[in-house]
Amino acid sequence: MSAAEVARATCARLAVADSRGLNATLAWSDAALLAEAARVDALPPGGALREVPIALKDNIVTTEQPTTCGSRILEGYVSPFNATVVERLRAAGALIACKANLDEFAMGSSTEHSAYGRVRHPLALDRVPGGSSGGSAALVAADVVPAAIGSETGGSVRQPASFCGVVGVKPSYGRVSRYGLVAFGSSLDCVSVLGKTVAEAERVLAVIAGLDPRDATTVDLPPLVPEPAPLSLAGVTIGLPREYFPADLHPGVRAACDLAVARLRDLGARIVEVSLPHSKYAVPTYYIIAPAEAAANLARYDGARYGARATVDGDVRALYRATRGQGFGPEVRRRILVGTYVLSAGYYDAYYGRAQAARSRIADDFRRAFASGVDLLFTPTTPTPAFKAGEKTGDPVAMYLADIFVCPVNLAGLPALSLPLARSEGLPVGGQLIARHFEEARMLALAATLERHLDPAAEARP
Amino acid sequence: MSVSAKEVAHVAALAELAVSEAELPALTAQLNRIVGFVAQLAELGEPGAAEPYVAGPEAARLRADEVRPAALARPPAAIAPEFVDGFFVVPKLGGMEQP
Repeated sequence: MSAAEVARATCARLAVADSRGLNATLAWSDAALLAEAARVDALPPGGALREVPIALKDNIVTTEQPTTCGSRILEGYVSPFNATVVERLRAAGALIACKANLDEFAMGSSTEHSAYGRVRHPLALDRVPGGSSGGSAALVAADVVPAAIGSETGGSVRQPASFCGVVGVKPSYGRVSRYGLVAFGSSLDCVSVLGKTVAEAERVLAVIAGLDPRDATTVDLPPLVPEPAPLSLAGVTIGLPREYFPADLHPGVRAACDLAVARLRDLGARIVEVSLPHSKYAVPTYYIIAPAEAAANLARYDGARYGARATVDGDVRALYRATRGQGFGPEVRRRILVGTYVLSAGYYDAYYGRAQAARSRIADDFRRAFASGVDLLFTPTTPTPAFKAGEKTGDPVAMYLADIFVCPVNLAGLPALSLPLARSEGLPVGGQLIARHFEEARMLALAATLERHLDPAAEARP
Repeated sequence: MSVSAKEVAHVAALAELAVSEAELPALTAQLNRIVGFVAQLAELGEPGAAEPYVAGPEAARLRADEVRPAALARPPAAIAPEFVDGFFVVPKLGGMEQP
């Protein structure tokens, strides 16, 4: 197929996804995709992602399409520069297929908090695809694109990957440039990848990884070179953290994990139980640190320099307050208020100070587990399969707990992935592998071996 | 520790966020739910002088102090709500010192 044929076929699939009411896309057009194809045709031969259409979560800036972050406050905003990941994808020959819907400013676990409407789960339209990268995950799951870019602050790629039955890879903090990723929680934010398979996600990650002079948190490491998947897992030790398999774990999720652990054992891996005792504090820790950083990062949206501006009759503060009050949706407003509260005089030590200390303990637990000889940790990605739309929107804390198994990894800055294990009552169930800092290549190779021995379409019976 | 409606209104003012009187009761209840939930970290005892955990490289790399303007696809005037003679235009300052 020529690049133009790929572009036309992608447009047809995007149109089908839109007509099904997935609401996974925010901006795409035939003209933009054909322009992408013409650009690819003009590149020299080669390119690791030549003619691969890729969806971008709409918190990654591009100069051709609007970047909304799923928020009214960025209505009409078109970035004057491209994100580094966009430059790298394009240089490798990829076609930017569309901007994908998301929870507003990546704050959410269900993609119900977008100003542009909720994203529907491709396999069950009354359910959520997870979030906040729900649009990206739904587009991969619906076979619109083979891979998509998302972002994680507290599990926003692995959790929707698990719900939608696709692969989601969160690299180590520092592996991929965030230049052009709209900031949410800067000590946590990671550009991440969704793919139909481990190999597909890895191919994209290898292209976007690497040092970027525009992002001082990127680390100077040798290029991420995909390793072949081994035939056996002999000599590999997999740790099962007991705190991630609680008694009230959803029976379908437990059955799928049991099946995967049996496969790991059959493949020759040694399975040991480990303990990560402070992981139970990860969600409260995260919901202090992330809102605190968000309150600071989102201070820039004030109607002065870009984005939407409220019409007010008053001074500049009236303009700020009205613009922000009208422009931000309910979840973003809640997080700005929580973040401002925990940083305010008199409460800083009681909340932020404690959260910093808890974060160190959570990271120390992982360090100890890996120091004990464990190569990878295996856990369920989510406590349940995809839940119904509206089920958790009335209680913010119930929504936050959907990330209980994924957000400890973000606090520790480790690489991790979710891969589809099996189904429970027809809904995908994902399993999570967690590795040491910067050991993505080995994690992905071992995940590819496990992937070959799973049947993600099969029902896991408790 | 519970958060009063008055404190929520104060925090909203600090965050430059308009919150109407009508929204305040529901917002106060939600904030109490969240703050009550995160307060469980008190179980871990006093944090002491914990160093902030840094997920990234231990030392920030320094780069040469050179002006390297980014190549912009469009100028500020194209993305600003109001831009005149090289300046972003906003209403008069008013009482900045008032919380």
